[in-house]
Amino acid sequence: MRLGLICLCLFFVAALMLSTGSARAQSDGSATFEALLVWGTNDAKTDPKFKPADPALAEKLKKSPFKWEHYFEMHRENVKLKLNEEQTIKMSRNCVISLTNLKDNQIKFELFGKGTLANTVTQSLPKGQLLVTGGDAENSTAWFVVLRRVE
Amino acid sequence: MTEEQQLKLQTFFDKELPEKEAREIASWLARDADATALHAELRNTRQALKGFEPELKVPESREFYWSKIKREIERSAPARAPAEQVSLFTSLRRFLLPLGAVATLALVGIITLHQFGGGVVRPVPVNAILADAGAFTYRDESQGMTVVWLSYPAEKKLADSPSPDTLPAK
Amino acid sequence: MAELAYSSAEDAALVRAAQKGDTDAFEELVARHRDKIYARAFSMMRNEDEAVDLSQEAWVKGWQRLAQFQGDSSFATWITRIVINLCLDELRKQKRRRTESIEGMDEETGGVERQMPVVTTNPTERLERGELRQRIDRALGQLSHEHRTVLVLHEFEEMEYKEIAKAMDCSIGTVMSRLFYARRKLASLLADLKNEND
Repeated sequence: MRLGLICLCLFFVAALMLSTGSARAQSDGSATFEALLVWGTNDAKTDPKFKPADPALAEKLKKSPFKWEHYFEMHRENVKLKLNEEQTIKMSRNCVISLTNLKDNQIKFELFGKGTLANTVTQSLPKGQLLVTGGDAENSTAWFVVLRRVE
Repeated sequence: MTEEQQLKLQTFFDKELPEKEAREIASWLARDADATALHAELRNTRQALKGFEPELKVPESREFYWSKIKREIERSAPARAPAEQVSLFTSLRRFLLPLGAVATLALVGIITLHQFGGGVVRPVPVNAILADAGAFTYRDESQGMTVVWLSYPAEKKLADSPSPDTLPAK
Repeated sequence: MAELAYSSAEDAALVRAAQKGDTDAFEELVARHRDKIYARAFSMMRNEDEAVDLSQEAWVKGWQRLAQFQGDSSFATWITRIVINLCLDELRKQKRRRTESIEGMDEETGGVERQMPVVTTNPTERLERGELRQRIDRALGQLSHEHRTVLVLHEFEEMEYKEIAKAMDCSIGTVMSRLFYARRKLASLLADLKNEND
């Protein structure tokens, strides 16, 4: 009996630690996402105006099976979404994405190329994880839309 | 007529356009013969479908059809055990030790997670519906990255090569 | 208390009785609406056995969820939505097992509907209702599951684009494209069928 009471007290301590220490999502379920349009190329000589992608991101992309050496950030959008809210974001003239913030760290991501749905992904995207959608671009280069949860 | 115009005409036809846009489409309809013809086609198709419900009957007798439903309802109904008369103290005491054990395990788990923090990468369940039959999904646990690679050829220009006029205005 | 005369009772009264556990009242509701529910399932699945199974499953689920029915819509609408959702789930499962034809893919994304010539004849002209019904049924059978589903939900269930998008778990843009394709294809098929018999 006494042992049970002690264990129960420990449980309440644990519950307190959980509620203060480990909540990643905001209490109302809203979240902020960052979407990047990235261009990958093997051509070292590019327009000096192009902004190199974040080194940590470039490193991840290089370590993946992609063959490109240089990555440039072409467009960046940050969007805050309430739970179950959906928003469409134009990443370029031809590329539009739609994001829906779902419960349990899930997101629904749709990519439209020239108005045509190219893919839909629904997955868990906790902080620290990336969702990358990509395809070939002209002259043996590639485009990527990189999505991550900021908070 | 562009794809956008056709879809807008359909949206107008389905009365799902905002009022301002609906007026613009109505005005366009009045002067564009192709748009008028397409609108008429949509109307005729709707008229053909209106009131069409296949005159279908369930191909089973009433009794037989219901018997299967009733059997399934009875089969899935939860069985009810007679209620026990127990004192509150006894029922609480019964749960105290197991609950305490669970609490201890939870505490150990939390401490472990806090110590090892973000180093644990759990598999990420992915549900991808790929309109592109040649696409594939690749998961890199070490990088914490899910990659979806589409097979559309570069000429299709799903996203442009970089140039200032292809990017949205800031 | 007077016994409920099931055959003459209104749906609302039968629902109330069924919610209290009266299976006879529920059986009357089944008898009353079973053809419509079956027809909806058949429109979507185009298979008699599947339509029977799914319609019966819908009735079982309807019984299990009867407490949740608040009367916001008619009982018929409520149970129809249950069977529609079951059909959509089944179609998704079948799609994962089935390989889509190349033609289907082109129709989905190739924009072939934009190139179809506009059909100027009205298929309802000079056709007996029964014959028109048969032709539409044949034409619907020639659409893909996705296109037929959008058409059924929009034209028969009168659902809005966003409701259909939610039910089919796709974007509104996809709903619009599929609906447009389905309508154009149907018009073209009905015109072809009409020409065959002229």
